[in-house]
Amino acid sequence: MTLIAFLILFVAVVIGYVLNLRAARALRAGGTAMHSLDGFHGGYAALSVLIPTFFLVVLWLLFQGTVIEMLVKAGLPSGQLDGLGTGEIQLIMAEIRSIAGGRIFGEPEQWKLDAAERLVSLRAISGMLLIATTAALAALLLYRAHRRVSADFRARQGTEGMVHGLMVACATVAIFVTIGIVASLLFETIRFFKMVPFWEFVLGTSWEPQIPLREDQIAAEGAFGMLPVFLGTLVIATVAMLVATPIGLLSAIYLHEFASHRVRSVVKPVLEILAGVPTVVYGFFAILVIAPAIRSFGGELGLPIAPNTALAAGSVMGIMLIPFISSFADDALGAVPRSLRDGSLAVGATPAETVLKVLFPAAIPGIVGGILLAVSRAIGETMIVVMAAGLIAKMTINPLDSVTTVTVQIVTLLIGDTAFDSPKTLAAFALGMVLFLMTLVINIAALRIVRKYREIYD
Amino acid sequence: MTDATTDKFDWAAPTFQAGLRKRKRNQWWLKSLGLGAISIAFAMLLLLIGSLISTGYYAFTQTHLEIEVELDPGLIRADAPERGNYRQILTNTMQSLFPDVPDNRAELRKLTSILSNGAQFTIRDMVVADPGLIGETVSVTVPVSDPYDQLNKGLIDPDTPEQNRRLTNDEIANFNRLAEAGMLSEPLNWGLITNADSRFPELAGLKGAIIGSAYALLVCFMLAFPVGIGAAIYLEEFAPRNRLSDLIEININNLAAVPSVVFGLLGLAVFIGWFGMPRSVPFVGGLTLALMTLPTIIIATRAALKAVPPSIREAALGVGASKQQVVFGHVLPLAMPGILTGTIIGLAQALGETAPLLLIGMNAFITSAPATPFDSATALPTQIFIWADSPERGFVSRTSAAILVLLTFLITMNAIAIFLRHKFERKW
Amino acid sequence: MYDVTKPEHDVAQAETKISARGVQVYYGDTHAIKDVDVDIADKTVTSFIGPSGCGKSTFLRCINRMNDTIDICRVKGDIRIDGQDIHAPSVDPVQLRAKVGMVFQKPNPFPKSIYDNVAYGPKIHGMTRNKAELDEVVEAALRGAGLWDEVKDRLDTPGTGLSGGQQQRLCIARAVATQPEVLLMDEPCSALDPIATALIEDLIDGLKKQFSVVIVTHSMQQAARISQKTAFFHLGNLVEYGDTDMIFTNPQDERTENYITGRTG
Repeated sequence: MTLIAFLILFVAVVIGYVLNLRAARALRAGGTAMHSLDGFHGGYAALSVLIPTFFLVVLWLLFQGTVIEMLVKAGLPSGQLDGLGTGEIQLIMAEIRSIAGGRIFGEPEQWKLDAAERLVSLRAISGMLLIATTAALAALLLYRAHRRVSADFRARQGTEGMVHGLMVACATVAIFVTIGIVASLLFETIRFFKMVPFWEFVLGTSWEPQIPLREDQIAAEGAFGMLPVFLGTLVIATVAMLVATPIGLLSAIYLHEFASHRVRSVVKPVLEILAGVPTVVYGFFAILVIAPAIRSFGGELGLPIAPNTALAAGSVMGIMLIPFISSFADDALGAVPRSLRDGSLAVGATPAETVLKVLFPAAIPGIVGGILLAVSRAIGETMIVVMAAGLIAKMTINPLDSVTTVTVQIVTLLIGDTAFDSPKTLAAFALGMVLFLMTLVINIAALRIVRKYREIYD
Repeated sequence: MTDATTDKFDWAAPTFQAGLRKRKRNQWWLKSLGLGAISIAFAMLLLLIGSLISTGYYAFTQTHLEIEVELDPGLIRADAPERGNYRQILTNTMQSLFPDVPDNRAELRKLTSILSNGAQFTIRDMVVADPGLIGETVSVTVPVSDPYDQLNKGLIDPDTPEQNRRLTNDEIANFNRLAEAGMLSEPLNWGLITNADSRFPELAGLKGAIIGSAYALLVCFMLAFPVGIGAAIYLEEFAPRNRLSDLIEININNLAAVPSVVFGLLGLAVFIGWFGMPRSVPFVGGLTLALMTLPTIIIATRAALKAVPPSIREAALGVGASKQQVVFGHVLPLAMPGILTGTIIGLAQALGETAPLLLIGMNAFITSAPATPFDSATALPTQIFIWADSPERGFVSRTSAAILVLLTFLITMNAIAIFLRHKFERKW
Repeated sequence: MYDVTKPEHDVAQAETKISARGVQVYYGDTHAIKDVDVDIADKTVTSFIGPSGCGKSTFLRCINRMNDTIDICRVKGDIRIDGQDIHAPSVDPVQLRAKVGMVFQKPNPFPKSIYDNVAYGPKIHGMTRNKAELDEVVEAALRGAGLWDEVKDRLDTPGTGLSGGQQQRLCIARAVATQPEVLLMDEPCSALDPIATALIEDLIDGLKKQFSVVIVTHSMQQAARISQKTAFFHLGNLVEYGDTDMIFTNPQDERTENYITGRTG
């Protein structure tokens, strides 16, 4: 059905273009002086059909599922859903959907079969309606556009106006994405705080979303104190930055000041490869190579090392961030004007003194910006920690221990669970909100520093 | 003039020379540290790739066993060949290979466990395709199960104590008899890319994941490419410098740095929660990835547009073209190579992205490849995640192999991007 | 070799500080300086003039081996300062550059305080034993650059906050603080207004009492005002070298004459 609707749309657009093009040509052939080129008349028709109809179809597709579901629910025999939680209602609806899809398990009640039948027929009706509406709207628009072809119709302005509108719409998508992120996180987070008090979440020192601790506990599902999770995130991010910052900065200094052209042309692409490796690969690398290596090394030293040690996850994350920091630092060093370097060398400074005492201090803002962005990445990095860090939240700063992070908890809380009304699921969104706000603050600060810095030397 | 300038400093003084040596030494240290840092990065990359290849290459072959299977008409009904007792047929086959093995259940199960669990389905599919085979004896080559595959590849050491390995001495002896009889082969494991996922490592493949990723990337491209270009053109060429365009600009830069898992939360809450789209489908995955890729494409496109010199715009405007005619007729085509390069790099990032796909459920266990973008599927990175989490030993090498496949795709995409950049690079 | 070479023109009143023989400079495939021979006298101001791109700056940068810092640049030939070959393996460019100060076209103070800018050279070379000595050196250098009275109350403010002319004098102070013997100036006034230029020119006149000053300029008037010797470069060749008065009043070479009279630029 959807396909047919899109096909109708496509055909209508082509017809619109051709009809108006021909009409305009005919007028011109008749000796009329046209304001706009024929192509613009065609384009005008095509766009004025395309834009409204396309949005109609998309909106229809977005909402038909929800509307049909509501209709089916409303049509169920009264009393069937009384007293059931959202989770159970969702299960029933899922069963009805699967019956409608032809997969019948066991012997469902008659009312479910009826509902499934209604679901099927409603879907068919919706499909037919969609096609009919699409065709009608397209025809109407076609007719309207065709009537406007005339000598002094400003088709170019019309077309360009619509194109302009489309571009503005595209540009605002970015804003809508941000609004979408904030809205979805906020909405679910508020629901979460209706079940778990805000201060218990922010200041609680115990995070055990899976196990109810005591009977009278709010939400009776477990403890939701984010501090240990937050602490774990900081431990791993710190380890990562301790690995990445010195290695990244020293590589950048070497590349910028000491490496010949040939060395640079080899090293930079290799670092780019390191940057392009997907994080899931780093995660596997951590559990396959680094974690066992750290464990056996610790075993030789007689150190107690947890299987999911923060050190393994953090150091692999650090490896991932090396190219990020080094390319940022290299750019920042490169942005320092050459004249400063010459000035320093000309009074007899060695290249090392030049880079450490003149270039590096001058590039500090840019480098700090890059490091901040790396910190934000370390905090938001997910796959490495999901695979290599632990699941249990502990109030510890020992990097040899196993800790968990905000992102690990988000993923584990949401994998395989769809109910949007349990504090467990909603807690993931609250953590997401924390993560978003943390990274947002760091990012804004970093971007501001970097931008200011660029302005100094531009 | 003061004393300091008239009283010349002695550049040849021993103290100065000593200081100079010390400064040289410091410089040498800085240089060595830098070189050391780069070496660490290189070593890590080598270690990464080396460990993947050394564990992954085992998965590129698969041990197969060639057996003569008697398709006993007593066990298969001609009118319903798909319901036959193929398990028994295989048991009979294995028993005939080892006549000396006692005829009890446990021993027989040991024998049949040499064969992959999928062997019975291979034979079933043969018979269903050609029911005329019933009653005949056919020669079939089927994969062996994971422990024996590992044994054949030397990953199980027969010298370790018996209780510490997954195969007993008897089992190894049985298998060695098959090997001596020349019934084993180790062909290239095409199943790795032609099979969908499976619980059994010897049968698991990436077909579903590759197709799932392809659908997701297609959706991502079809959304992010036009919207990204539209947004970039507007911001770069048409937008007035005002609060709104500043806001959009800051917004885009921030979006590019938002953690990917947050996009997963967005996709879960909005697409699946509010709009009621199905879970685990590549379409929703593509939508989510599109939102993530959008900032990358916008930033790359703006850079490409900026690189087109203003003289081209002025020349076209000078002959009376409208602003849009200039942009779409002249500037955009000139910027296209740069835009494509940026887009491919953005798509390559999207291909490796895992966390958002996990949240929208693309880590489901699905044993068939998706036919449309609206069928449940996994993607390459989530498949890697699933396999990395699987306890069976055989999945370790499968995971490495899957990663190598993913990296091959990524390297290809980046190579195309680099090729485009070089081929169409213009010096103004 | 040093004492047998006889200058082509009479520079007998001052002893030779820098002597260059057969200097060639290549930028990648471009032959930027072709076989230049020149002797530069001590305690004199020598100007290099010539149309832009003639190689005068490139040659200047040979004298303190600044060209070494450019990857694609190769220098051949023999340059001696006080008879010492500057390309000899025993000579460290670091040491050489401390003895041969340089001032650049655009003022390039470090983003540090005025004091730290001037103290930078003495500090890295370990020329002073304590803070008091360093203070003395800084003050002397700033006085030498004629900047002391203007900045003595704000030595800890950033050097980048000064005006263009002050910045350039700060750079001169930075260069003289290491007590060099030669001062190279690469169009030091091209980014300055006439008043600042006049100040710097006065300064240069004073500096020649201590140093051998070599200045690249594209202003012939400036060369005539401040220098005793002038070298004219054209397309990488040293066309003519001699007393400034001679070059400007009675050039021997047609190319020099054309340039000076404004027929070629």
